[in-house]
Amino acid sequence: MLTIKVLGSGCANCKRVEQIVRKIITDMSLEAEVIKVTDYNDITAYNILSTPGLVINEKVVSYGRIPSPAEVTTWITSALETANP
Amino acid sequence: MNFFVNLLYSGLGNLASYLAAHVLLCLLPAFYIAGAMTALIPKETVTRFLGRNTPKFISYPAAALAGSVLAVCSCTIVPLFAGIYKKGAGLGPAITFLFFAPAANILALIYTGGVIGPDLALARFILSLAFGIGIGIIMALIFRHEDVEHDKATDAMFAAQGKMRKVALVFLLVLVSLLLSGTLKVGLLTNTYSTFTIPISGMDKVQDFLYNLIPYDSAKGEEGVTAQGAILIGLLVFIGITSWLGMENIFDGFNKWTWISLSLVALTLLVAAVGMSPHAGGLDVLINGKFFGVLLALIVLGYILKTKLTEDETRDFLWESWKFVKQIFPLLVVGVFAVGVIRALIKPEWIESLAGQNTLLGNLAGVVFGVFMYFPTLVEVPIAQMFLSLGMHRGPLLAYLMADPELSLQSILIISTIIGRLKSWTYVAWVALFSTLSGLIYGAWVDGAGIGLVALYLILFLALLSGSLWFVNRRNVQKMAAVH
Repeated sequence: MLTIKVLGSGCANCKRVEQIVRKIITDMSLEAEVIKVTDYNDITAYNILSTPGLVINEKVVSYGRIPSPAEVTTWITSALETANP
Repeated sequence: MNFFVNLLYSGLGNLASYLAAHVLLCLLPAFYIAGAMTALIPKETVTRFLGRNTPKFISYPAAALAGSVLAVCSCTIVPLFAGIYKKGAGLGPAITFLFFAPAANILALIYTGGVIGPDLALARFILSLAFGIGIGIIMALIFRHEDVEHDKATDAMFAAQGKMRKVALVFLLVLVSLLLSGTLKVGLLTNTYSTFTIPISGMDKVQDFLYNLIPYDSAKGEEGVTAQGAILIGLLVFIGITSWLGMENIFDGFNKWTWISLSLVALTLLVAAVGMSPHAGGLDVLINGKFFGVLLALIVLGYILKTKLTEDETRDFLWESWKFVKQIFPLLVVGVFAVGVIRALIKPEWIESLAGQNTLLGNLAGVVFGVFMYFPTLVEVPIAQMFLSLGMHRGPLLAYLMADPELSLQSILIISTIIGRLKSWTYVAWVALFSTLSGLIYGAWVDGAGIGLVALYLILFLALLSGSLWFVNRRNVQKMAAVH
């Protein structure tokens, strides 16, 4: 089971990242929980300098830009491998 | 009933003349420049100067630079502010960044320069830089002992190195030269080199019709819509539609609309650059230096975009630019319309008696208006232009322009969740003070005070400031000594 967090106050780019993530989860038919983190104190706890940030299983994989769907798929796959070796 | 029709006319007229006159050669390239900066400059090139161990004389200017090039959108401003404050260089540079970002980011500066005049844009930039750093240092001194207690977390967040690709830098510079060749008023660019006539009879009637449709009064600083303006507004509508089709889903890949909309933008910039004068026999098109400048810049841009930038870079660049347009343009349209309506309601005598002269009261009025009114990004500029045409002095006008973007209830609330209420309101007080002073000093200069007198003012002010800083500092040291 994956926990994916999208960090961002709700600007256009943050919504875009959430869309991409949800689409991939549906496509791969994974069981995953997508959480939107909007509180700035919680966001800065992740050591990122600009939103949107993407966190998979508590690990920051990207911030400050919109990752491509291919990148997100790679990150999710490797997170799955680490979780279930 | 007639009254409301008049108001509506005033609003629409303002909007039409704005779109036709100001938007194209300055705002359109400005959106692309902002987009390119966001997409192509890695944040690490600047943020690595914002860590805890960076000397102060580097971290303060770096914070201002970060505000200018990285932060056009709130997505970046608030997290970066929180990051610098909590884990980086501390409260001072964070405040400098916060002050500088809305006042002198690239979009605001270009727009101020294009609409009101380069002198005010330059004043806005220099004074924002001086005061941003000044207020940052003051805040750091006042809240010094709290800053010391700050978590001594590692610098890891700011350690990352980033390098900008040379090609991306060239791309940015060409974008800037596109803007300059379209807006600079030098002979080489404004001279006409050749003329040809498009034979459409009755163009003069079209022009008269437009002037009748949107009546204007140049004495009040209003502008009419020319035939060229009408063509440009039409093109803008097409750009809007094709961009929506081409840019909105750019993450699914480029489609034909993407390229159509880009070609339309290029065409529009070229049409905006040439001079046109309608007469009974047709439309004279004057090919001037601007046209060649814009054409050259567009060709270079097209070449770099097609062959040098990676697909990811192109996509990010187009998306960021489109995002700015989508985010700011609708608010600007509504704002400009509203300004047109309000303008019909305000009597010039009011403004003249309140802020027609460069007085303390006039400057304070500008600042108070700026603090209590909230306008979306960039809308402060047409509002300032309205005040200017209604007879406001340039001094109070600058005071207003300095105070408005920095301070709004909304931003104060967000800041106070990060640095606390006391610090936020101290910051507000300092910004209000500095804005009033900047208006007074700039106003004195506009009124023809000699450089010597202006310098004297500045020196007096700085002496007063450093005196009080020294005092605060000494008290802090005593307090610290008393605690230990």
